[in-house]
Amino acid sequence: MGLDYQLVLWNKHKKTYDKIIVLSMLLYIVLFAVITIAFNSETSIETLVIRAFGSLAIIMLHIILAIGPLSRLNSNFLPILYNRRHLGVSMFIAALIHGGFSMFQFHALGDVNPVYSVFTSNMDYGSLTNFPFQVLGFLALLILFIMASTSHDFFLANLSAKVWKRLHMMVYFAYALIIAHVFLGAFQQETSPFTIGIMIIGFLVVASLHLITAFKERKTDRVKTEEKEGWLTVCNISEIQEDRAKIFTVDNERVAIFKYDGKLSAIHNVCKHQGGPLGEGKIIDGCVTCPWHGYQYLPSNGQSPPPFTEKVTTYELKLDEETVYINPKAFEEGTEVKPCKI
Amino acid sequence: MTYIINIFLGVLGIYFSIGLLFGLYFVIIGATKIDPLMQGTKKKVRFLLLPGVIATWPFLIVKLFKSKSI
Repeated sequence: MGLDYQLVLWNKHKKTYDKIIVLSMLLYIVLFAVITIAFNSETSIETLVIRAFGSLAIIMLHIILAIGPLSRLNSNFLPILYNRRHLGVSMFIAALIHGGFSMFQFHALGDVNPVYSVFTSNMDYGSLTNFPFQVLGFLALLILFIMASTSHDFFLANLSAKVWKRLHMMVYFAYALIIAHVFLGAFQQETSPFTIGIMIIGFLVVASLHLITAFKERKTDRVKTEEKEGWLTVCNISEIQEDRAKIFTVDNERVAIFKYDGKLSAIHNVCKHQGGPLGEGKIIDGCVTCPWHGYQYLPSNGQSPPPFTEKVTTYELKLDEETVYINPKAFEEGTEVKPCKI
Repeated sequence: MTYIINIFLGVLGIYFSIGLLFGLYFVIIGATKIDPLMQGTKKKVRFLLLPGVIATWPFLIVKLFKSKSI
């Protein structure tokens, strides 16, 4: 939401979060180095860097994957979600240092192209215990590169939200590659139950959070509704809090029905910026405000206030005594719909 | 297996080479033609976009052709 693109969209809070990210990363690296040297003083600096940044990237990836479902389950996590993009790029940098040093140490000192060497130095592709696990890491790094390099509003606007979202959903494929990379690689030598246990717990936490969130949302989507002369029954008016919304599913599309200033308005639930859930936001200064990044829309027409240009579809509502009804037919994005008076 | 690896890495190399050539044109000239917000965007921001353009050039080249203003 702006008149030109900025290098980084920073504000006071984001700067604080970024400082926390950088300091936490540095602290982890220092602690990892101190502990490694204390227990194994013969570890080379290259190996130390590879292990420290590799484990750091994996920890960060688990946090990133947990943020989404956590913020859907509890709004207290939303502020962390706002900074997930910066966390993702920081994680890619950690993974790049891990991958870069690994390629340098193991593949760049011969007379074969280092990338070619990653794929061909071990051709035991049929083996499970001696699988060329570095290939998996390379492919995961490639996906993380695509994601990090497109983590800018320009790409969201010009690749379309649908394509951008699909590209960024590849993080789950990258995660699977990384899990396989670690288990077929590092864990073939590293047999400490503590390290392997942490990795398994991390996977279980991420998977459980996603499943819990999916079941919760499925429940919302499957609410049975009555149809009355083409209108769908939504809820009793008292179920919607002032300046907040109720999310209702119409033809497999989520709609946010807002109550504000003695009126009701309905707009599509998906923010045009990064697909944030508008119905989990609130009315601020007369505008529906996305809980993810603060993008705003006028509730009566789904348009961002001028000079901004984002638009979402709108829906018609009616109130019969205490019951809210919605017309399932969506209007074009940005269409003015007279708010329903309470 | 070596044959598959050669093809995969060859395609990857070609993809990124085209991406780099297109990317340089795109961040300097092309991006402004498909996105009005790029008009006021500074050079350092344009070059920050270069890696992403290299990664996603097929999508952007289609959008550029559709804009009919190459």
